[in-house]
Amino acid sequence: MPDFWGIIEVLVKLSLYLGILTASGIVFSALIFKINDYQKSVIFFGLIGLIATIFAFSLRGAALTGDMSGMYDTEMLSLLWGTPVGTALMYRLIGLSILLLGLVMGHKGLYFSAIGGALAIWSFDHIGHVPDKDLTLLNLALFLHLLFAALWIGILKPLKKLALSANTLAVAADIGHQFGRLASVTVPVLIIVGLYLAYFLVGSWTALFTTAYGQTLLIKVSIVALLLGLAAVNKLRIIPGLQRGDANSAEHLVKAISWEWGAIILILTVTAILTSTLTLPT
Amino acid sequence: MKSLIIAAALTIWSGTAMAHSPIERTTPSNEAIVAAEPDMIDMTFKKGIRLTKVSMTHAAHPSVSLDITGTKGFITDYSIPMQKMGTGTYIIKWRGLGKDGHAINGDFSFSVE
Repeated sequence: MPDFWGIIEVLVKLSLYLGILTASGIVFSALIFKINDYQKSVIFFGLIGLIATIFAFSLRGAALTGDMSGMYDTEMLSLLWGTPVGTALMYRLIGLSILLLGLVMGHKGLYFSAIGGALAIWSFDHIGHVPDKDLTLLNLALFLHLLFAALWIGILKPLKKLALSANTLAVAADIGHQFGRLASVTVPVLIIVGLYLAYFLVGSWTALFTTAYGQTLLIKVSIVALLLGLAAVNKLRIIPGLQRGDANSAEHLVKAISWEWGAIILILTVTAILTSTLTLPT
Repeated sequence: MKSLIIAAALTIWSGTAMAHSPIERTTPSNEAIVAAEPDMIDMTFKKGIRLTKVSMTHAAHPSVSLDITGTKGFITDYSIPMQKMGTGTYIIKWRGLGKDGHAINGDFSFSVE
């Protein structure tokens, strides 16, 4: 069981993943599916990402001194700035700032925001277990994995909002259908790339079943399988029902999206545990 | 849903384990029994690290920080002046930063007869 600081680190990482992936994902979805009225959600999750970015950085300072003083100890923070942790901080601060600035630049600003979101996501290639392996293909795989994960997370909030109003049910059905078509390409890639990353990080079937890292990864894969089941129900039953004008389908979609949110928060929590308290099998 | 998330998180945490040691050797070595207090504590790491805090606890004495101000950069070998507190068990706790940005920590102990 991790100590108090370990639990705080996991919670801050969860906020960081949720903030960056959701804010970026909503922007990607707005750009691809021409969704309006996305700004407030992007600001909300973008600010969560920014606050978590700064908190996660200073928390690493606390890990160096063993107490809270490290969070604002300039010597500790400048030491961190010189490592890949500082590089990731720079990408996140610049990326999220561009993402938020793009919101006040009209429709063209959406492209600007998307670049900012991609930059913030790219930050994860500079820190954690994947960069330790120092392989370009592995870094590209992680970037692609996170981009497609962000797109999936990003569609949920706008789609739920559209499904909640009788006036926008047709739009919800159309966007749900378009997302389903795109997801039939992005989700298999997301899974294949995820398996590729897992293969390089864990290294063997034995390590997968006998190490804490491998077992925790199996828990993540199990929750992803549940999420895929929910997504399949959405694509094959709920969205076609919504397209036919079935009022119950809207209610089912809202419930299914709530369950998807729950699964995604669980997946991100397990990921935060994998990257915080566990080391790779040797 | 909230209770499901909390239950799952607790289940996952219960199975976690902490990192393996990045330290190669120490002098005195872990759990060694020595005849007299050493002047210096030597620590050798497997990879270059920057020590950020080293503290020592002895019997009923409050924990004291050992002086690491003279060390610079990411190095593998550290020699740290020790404060002598007599016979008994000394516990050394250390914290540091790896070149990759990971914070690492550990501890070891030895006894003076």
